[in-house]
Amino acid sequence: MEKFQYEKLQETLYHEVMDNGLQVYVLPKPGFQKTYATFTTKYGSIDNHFRVEGEEEISVPDGIAHFLEHKMFEEPEGDIFATFASQGASANAFTSFDQTAYLFSSTENISANLETLINFVQNPYFTDQNVDKEKGIIGQEIGMYADNPDWRVYFGLIEALYKVHPVHIDIAGTVESIGTITKETLYTCYNAFYHPSNMLLFVVGGVEPEEVFNLVRANQARKDYKPQGKIERLFDAEPAGVNERRRTSRLPVSLPKCLFGFKETKLGITGVERIKLDLTTKLALDLLFGSSTDLYQKLYDQDLISDGFGHEYNSDPNYAFSAIGGDTRDPEELLRVITEEVNALIQTGFKRENFERARKKKIGGYLRMMNSPENIAHEFTRYNFRGGDLFEVLPIYESITLEDVNQRLKEHINWEQMAVSLVVSPE
Amino acid sequence: MNKSLFERGSVNNIRIHVLPTKRFKTFAISVYAGIPLQEETVATTGLIPFVLRRGTASYPETTKFREQLEHLYGAGFGFDIYKRGDYQIVQLRMDTINDSFVNSEESLLEQSFSFLGEVLTQPVTENGSFRASYVAAEKETVRKKLESIINDKIRYAAERCLEEMFRNDPYRLHPLGSRAELSGITPEGLYEAYTNWLQEVNLDLYVVGDTSLDEVIRLVEKSFKIERPQAKQYTGTNVNFNTGDVRTVEESLNVNQGKLNLGLRTSITYGSDEYASALVYNGILGSYPHSKLFINVREKESLAYYASSRYDGHKGMATIQSGIEIANYEKALEIIKNQLEAMRQGEISDLELSQTKAMIRNHVVEMQDSAFEMIAYDFNRVISGKERSADELLEQVEQITSKEVTEAAQTFHLDTVYFLKGEKGE
Repeated sequence: MEKFQYEKLQETLYHEVMDNGLQVYVLPKPGFQKTYATFTTKYGSIDNHFRVEGEEEISVPDGIAHFLEHKMFEEPEGDIFATFASQGASANAFTSFDQTAYLFSSTENISANLETLINFVQNPYFTDQNVDKEKGIIGQEIGMYADNPDWRVYFGLIEALYKVHPVHIDIAGTVESIGTITKETLYTCYNAFYHPSNMLLFVVGGVEPEEVFNLVRANQARKDYKPQGKIERLFDAEPAGVNERRRTSRLPVSLPKCLFGFKETKLGITGVERIKLDLTTKLALDLLFGSSTDLYQKLYDQDLISDGFGHEYNSDPNYAFSAIGGDTRDPEELLRVITEEVNALIQTGFKRENFERARKKKIGGYLRMMNSPENIAHEFTRYNFRGGDLFEVLPIYESITLEDVNQRLKEHINWEQMAVSLVVSPE
Repeated sequence: MNKSLFERGSVNNIRIHVLPTKRFKTFAISVYAGIPLQEETVATTGLIPFVLRRGTASYPETTKFREQLEHLYGAGFGFDIYKRGDYQIVQLRMDTINDSFVNSEESLLEQSFSFLGEVLTQPVTENGSFRASYVAAEKETVRKKLESIINDKIRYAAERCLEEMFRNDPYRLHPLGSRAELSGITPEGLYEAYTNWLQEVNLDLYVVGDTSLDEVIRLVEKSFKIERPQAKQYTGTNVNFNTGDVRTVEESLNVNQGKLNLGLRTSITYGSDEYASALVYNGILGSYPHSKLFINVREKESLAYYASSRYDGHKGMATIQSGIEIANYEKALEIIKNQLEAMRQGEISDLELSQTKAMIRNHVVEMQDSAFEMIAYDFNRVISGKERSADELLEQVEQITSKEVTEAAQTFHLDTVYFLKGEKGE
């Protein structure tokens, strides 16, 4: 058991790697009633083409990681939600581009709930019948998102930016693609990506670290995992430029939705450098589009934006993009004013006082996030899978300079790399 | 788990509730301002916080106002407007880093209070009124918010179901009012409404964090520039649990998925002795993945991705919501009605009962890990006049029998069925 003390954050983190390769982290939160645990595999919607060392290369249907997540909750003895409920735990799961997380939160029966979490994720049970049944449920989930204009404008942007990379494929797939999923394809994906060496268990809350490690050690010792070779994720070459300049979807909306973004060109970076690049980009976006900026106020005063205008930066070593926008009465005018003002800022760079204030805000936001066991577990895992450490973010923020942010502004805001996604009402 | 640890005081008829604790990295501050929900005042009251967040006497320009929040290490600042029983509540929130984590020269708590006090009591004014440009812009923002409800079909269907169910009760009103009422508001009229509101409104200020009641009282006295000679009390909600025939309302929009929403009335409210029975009833019916609705609508029939129920003890009502294939309307409705009937007939297994109790227990106990949830739970006491600590609620839930759940089930009556379907027919 390793122990890491983060004095500035007043947090202590414990870590151990199990013999089979499973990474386990425990963050005790004295005084907290609940324990929150996530059991996450580094496997998401983008992993649709891969080869496990010593095995054949394979391509799988769109939406299968998410389908697998749904199906994991079924065990030979019934629905695992019922077991969690009997033990007073609230359980859930989610699938993103690059990970699938299973989780519970509970204030009692912590050991039993931890065992349940680990065991159900390590015990796949797929039948022709239960796979078929799920297609109806996920079909409704897909239908629900199809009616959601925010989801449509967001995915429209990714589709406009990316031509080849599977990040542009909807996480749930389509009714047609999930129609081709069978129990055999599910087992293939399960066996490739749910090996303990590809997974991370994070436990946060009112727990004793040694007890958690003892429990997980004993649990894993009962299971007979053979060492697994390296997983090679295969991605066809993505063209540097955007797929389409503009994509428009039609759905009844009160005002057009306009989201634009820039496809990152600086890729392939991991670890601390990647984290620093991310944080620097986010600072630059906040200095451009944050609600205290002159640009934001100007757009608001001209009635071109409203509450809900926002920005984000989504990144991975293989793909990265920004997404900026919201509802607007006039997408063309909005883009025109933004282009003009942003170009002016690229020339002058940001003011030092604005930079210092934006950084202060980010540091405050980071510390506030540390109040939430859920956010800590999710963010820690996300950082870890990218080769970084959530608890080392403060010194990185401190190391970022105004010059770094100005440099990033010039690099990222490259109009050749921009695409626009619109959702407008049907004609 | 112990009984409420909030320490109480009062300044200028603002009730003060403070929970001193070192558990969090922030100070959580919440102001609840509640007045009766009324057609005449709902739109103006809803607009007030939008204008207040544009600027104060010290930070009249909005960019400066927001920069000040960033100086406070990006203090979280926000507001919500919602209905709680027959009251329209404006809630202002701040979440500020505890000074011990950063190198701040002045106390961040003190600065946060200066800020929040000004927001509420010293807005920027011109010629004795709100700044006209801010009022005009915020009217526009609220109008857009009201119009955008239709974008999210889940929310739209939920709002429409309530509107239909309470068509003869102020509860039908949207907490931001209607576009028609909004359009007539002038800066002068709004400023007058604001000064009246400050006098008439129930004010409760909560702080959870590493502070004390004495310190908070001192900060409120210093930062809230307001004289309120009269004490205010919440006086309860009108609950109409007599239902006639079930009313069915269907509406067509350009949607892929149908939204089925049901409204139910009950005589059991937050203040009732049977409140815990109603909570358990709702849990068994539809709050969890082991609940009847999830199992029967989703897992057994694959009809939906979501199918759940929600109980609102402040208004004595419950809602059921599900997203389904439009052609499956009759089938889904029948299955849902069957679950309601099964509950009335007492078809409740020991397992359902024990699982539901365990889930409620978990939820109540874990509220203590969130400052804002502890505050929200305590506010139930203020608005309902019913003292029921989290400990007492846990004890009551533990005692509930399936007979009591069945009795509770018999008080829930289906009132409205609302179905949002596509335009192209089935």
